[in-house]
Amino acid sequence: MKRGKHQDVFTERPAVKAAPDAKQLRKLAGDWLKQRRADAELSQADLAARLGLKYYTFISQVENGFSRVPIEMMGAWARELGLEQAAFAGHLLMYYEPELHRLLFGAERK
Amino acid sequence: MSVVAFERKQNGGEWSEKELSTLVAALCAAPGSGREWEAGMTERGDAQFYLLGPLPDQVCELCVSRIGGRYILEDGSGRLLFEHRNLEFVALHAKAAVPSTSWLMVRAITLWCAIRNAIHEKVEPLLVEGEELFVQFVPQLAAFA
Repeated sequence: MKRGKHQDVFTERPAVKAAPDAKQLRKLAGDWLKQRRADAELSQADLAARLGLKYYTFISQVENGFSRVPIEMMGAWARELGLEQAAFAGHLLMYYEPELHRLLFGAERK
Repeated sequence: MSVVAFERKQNGGEWSEKELSTLVAALCAAPGSGREWEAGMTERGDAQFYLLGPLPDQVCELCVSRIGGRYILEDGSGRLLFEHRNLEFVALHAKAAVPSTSWLMVRAITLWCAIRNAIHEKVEPLLVEGEELFVQFVPQLAAFA
């Protein structure tokens, strides 16, 4: 599904019941990343090449919910998906560190 | 005429039983390791094997992927550790890359030393103080008796 350019892709919230586990949240983050990559019309191999990775397997590892986007790669990952870096990192924090996200942004973004 | 049945090299699709047993034997067979694994696929249909860390996070510690008959070993941060056409070699490297029990033992011993040191520094002075008080009061109690 394509999105309008100005549609806010950061308004999506994890659609899970109370107290989801870390594994479940990583999977949701992976699904969100996969959708954003599809919006940017990139394959896993395209994104890996743009991020300077030799193989595209790590993109799959992250999108399948087994790993996180490393902090040092977040900026480049956001840029290649055409997303604003701070909002991208903040959105991933919601999945990767939900309690920290709640403390930082709870009142304004929840 | 006899025909030698060469094993067909897997180039794509899911893991074969033999490939999976090689990886599981190398990475998950250690007794008490408590490690779990999962298999998955990339969007191109290349097989991936994820070695998971301990509960509750179960984050991927190592990932072995098969792309075009080549096996790729990466860690959970996407660092390429090794690649080869022979899965046995890759499994050996993967085994060496797994955080081992001896590493846990080192952590446990360090923790034990820290606890002992804390007891030595904090609790022992209190005991010595109590002993000194006791030594001072015993003669007085003896005089009353």
